[in-house]
Amino acid sequence: MSKLIQAHNLHKTYQLGRVEVPVLRGVSLDVEAAEWVAILGASGSGKSTLLHLLGALDHPDSNESSISYEGSLLSSMRPGALNNYRNKSVGFVFQFYHLLPELTVLENTILPGLVGLNRLQYLRRIGELRDRGAELLDAFGLSHRLSHRPRELSGGERQRVAIARALINKAPLLLADEPTGNLDRQTGEEILELLKAQHRAGLTIVMVTHDLTIAEQADRIVRLEDGVIEPAKESHNISR
Amino acid sequence: MYQALLTNRYLTSRVIPLLAVAAVALCVALVIVVVSVMTGFLDMVRDSGRKLMGDVVISHPIYGIPHYEALLEELTKTSGVAAATPVIDSWGLLKMPYPQGDSKTTRTVQIWGVEPETFEQVTDFSTSIVWRQVEAYSPAWQYLLEDLFTQQSTAIIEALDLDQRIALLCVIKEDPELRDATPEDRLAIANQLSLESWQAILRTAARVPTLTEECLGTETWQSILARDPRLITPDAILEDGVTISRDNGTIPGIVMGLHVSELNVRSSDRTTVPHNNWYWWMPRFDVTLTTMPIDQKGGIVTEPSSRILPVANEFQSGVYLIDETRVLVPLDVAQDLMNLDEATIVDEFDPDIELGVDPARTTMVLVRAEQGLTPEELQVKVREAYTKFYEGLIKEQDLLVWPPSPNSLTLNIMTWEEQQAGFIGPVENERRLIQTLFSIVYVVCAALVLAIFWAIVYEKTRDIGILRSVGASRTGIVWIFLRYGLVVGSVGAVVGLGLGWLVVTNINGIHSALEEPPLILSWIFFVLAAISLILTVVLSWRGSLLPLVLGLMITVLLTILAIGILLLDGMGGVAIWDPSIYYFTDIPSSLDWWSAFGTMVGAVVFSLVGAIIPAAKAADTDPVKALRYE
Ligand SMILES: Nc1ncnc2c1ncn2[C@@H]1O[C@H](COP(=O)(O)OP(=O)(O)O)[C@@H](O)[C@H]1O
Ligand SMILES: [Mg+2]
Repeated sequence: MSKLIQAHNLHKTYQLGRVEVPVLRGVSLDVEAAEWVAILGASGSGKSTLLHLLGALDHPDSNESSISYEGSLLSSMRPGALNNYRNKSVGFVFQFYHLLPELTVLENTILPGLVGLNRLQYLRRIGELRDRGAELLDAFGLSHRLSHRPRELSGGERQRVAIARALINKAPLLLADEPTGNLDRQTGEEILELLKAQHRAGLTIVMVTHDLTIAEQADRIVRLEDGVIEPAKESHNISR
Repeated sequence: MYQALLTNRYLTSRVIPLLAVAAVALCVALVIVVVSVMTGFLDMVRDSGRKLMGDVVISHPIYGIPHYEALLEELTKTSGVAAATPVIDSWGLLKMPYPQGDSKTTRTVQIWGVEPETFEQVTDFSTSIVWRQVEAYSPAWQYLLEDLFTQQSTAIIEALDLDQRIALLCVIKEDPELRDATPEDRLAIANQLSLESWQAILRTAARVPTLTEECLGTETWQSILARDPRLITPDAILEDGVTISRDNGTIPGIVMGLHVSELNVRSSDRTTVPHNNWYWWMPRFDVTLTTMPIDQKGGIVTEPSSRILPVANEFQSGVYLIDETRVLVPLDVAQDLMNLDEATIVDEFDPDIELGVDPARTTMVLVRAEQGLTPEELQVKVREAYTKFYEGLIKEQDLLVWPPSPNSLTLNIMTWEEQQAGFIGPVENERRLIQTLFSIVYVVCAALVLAIFWAIVYEKTRDIGILRSVGASRTGIVWIFLRYGLVVGSVGAVVGLGLGWLVVTNINGIHSALEEPPLILSWIFFVLAAISLILTVVLSWRGSLLPLVLGLMITVLLTILAIGILLLDGMGGVAIWDPSIYYFTDIPSSLDWWSAFGTMVGAVVFSLVGAIIPAAKAADTDPVKALRYE
């Protein structure tokens, strides 16, 4: 199987006033296409930080750190290419949904699609885009919510909108940061089922969680501790 | 394309953009109002100075300029001179017709002796004449009629033949003796009446003009009215003002500044109404002008000379200082009063030997420039013309009296600005203060607009993080807020312009409302306060706190406003614009379009800058950092 994304020797240190807080101290992680990796770790262990680096929402510290997506280095990409990477190659699901409060559910969903369009493309493709957004939301059981505002939705519904948004551009890689962390067990399970279905359809997923029972549903579990991946504890899930 | 969507949503889905528009609009309006009033004020100072003096003034106080007619002739020949006029400038005492009784008020006045025709050419003073028409049956007309019927009663009666007198009797129809009288009886009564009785009948007739006209017939009536031209020709009063005379130019008169008489009361609609319902309308009366003429030789004061002059009209220049002190009389009257008229020079030791003529003089000559010539350019030409005039005169050997030499220290040839330095100087100083205030207002407003946008964009930092995380470019994000700033700035600027325009054009009305706050407004506010109190009670019945707080605040505010107006009224209002301090009777009320335009552009620019800087800053940080702004 081919590697979709490879992270090598990632370092990240935060500056808290005068104090340096090393969060990642040489993390390496390879994810294969169509694989589902769960990153498990205690709160504050740097899981979110790692995911942000993979999604190019932040950049690693040192020059030795490198992340390559389908063989090209993120650090050598020009800003335009990096925007394109965030827009077309990865879908990001945050723990706190991060929807735009002024936009409707449908508009939030198709936002990454809109961002990728220029004026001419917009005129030609907007209909198609809306249809796809509506379809996705329909599949997630939100067809009656299209023109609602995010604040009118429950947490589970919001997270489904966020996942639909991450999928709208058919990005091959989904990065999910504790997508069920804010939800009750029942709703969390429903969200996981959604992700599982997408995974079965060929989506590569890197999911962060501190919950072992959730992590166990993934193909592979990676444990993050003290800023490094624990090699010994890296294990393949055998239940699937 | 997502930018258009987001801008629209940001603009339409919250109160904040409305607040921002309101803030920008208020700032723009504030600056427009301040700048318009202040520049209007400065413009008025310059304009009025020029209007009152012409462009260049030749003056030689006290002694005057003899042979000035030759100077005027020389000036009219000079290119660049549109008109020139002699003026005698002096001081005197004016005995007013009020109050009723023997002891009258006396005012110190500045006397300007002018030649109406040329004075008009130089200063356009006819535009400042206050009373332009006396309409038939108006209060002023009625008083003129009563004056005529009392003052000229004897003459009027003597001019009436017996038939006309009998006809006049019908104005006292209520007299039982007359009511049933036959024509013969009337003849008998008419023959019996004394002059005093006729005069009494005439006084009655003056009070019922329409009836009298009916009794006498239009022709007789008109012939009686013709004794005062102002009664039959509505425009006669204006003509009197322009010619500074009465009775078709036959009697020299006086035209007083509108505020020389303290009984001209400014009403709240900013027109002037003579006190006691037009009773003290000055053109009804005569005034006595007294001066201290100056002896030609040594400037020693001789016997004061007085002259009774009928008030022809009043003028209002708009400059309070002048309207309060200046009176205009015909030049020859002033020359006579000031001993500046033509006289015979006699031998010091033998008054019977006539040596020659001492020509009439004037103390000033006002010169108006032709269009396009600056006062400074004209000043040079006038100086040359004066030298020519002087050199032309000294060639004449037999001249007894010489005009001052062009180099004389007492002769001044100045532009109106130099002449008015005492008046303009302090204003120029104020201008500097005003400019400082301008810049403070500007800076404060710019800072406010910047701060508002900064806050708005700052609040949207998380949104920027989200947009960046789904691949939006930095420029794309800046573009959202550029549109936002542009819309809010432009709408705010336009609304502000409208608001500023409303305030500026109605500023005098607003001011008089402050001077005399309408009490009804106070009651309206009380009623509104009561309504809001009731609403508050009803709305907060279910225990919600916000309606209670807001409602109480509004109620208190309305009550304060209502009480404030009552108090203001009790104190007799506030006169922010006191004409005796700000020189002018009215607040300048025209919009300064250039500065308004500049202010609007400034508002848009500051809105854009205020929006773009924080947006660019947020777009430049890593998406994650932006997302952490919770
Ligand atoms: N911007 C930041 N500045 C300072 N410290 C940070 C910042 N982001 C994260 N951290 C710190 O880094 C550590 C790891 O954070 P994070 O990656 O969010 O952990 P996790 O997602 O595993 O709970 C935490 O101790 C957190 O406080
Ligand atoms: Mg986390």
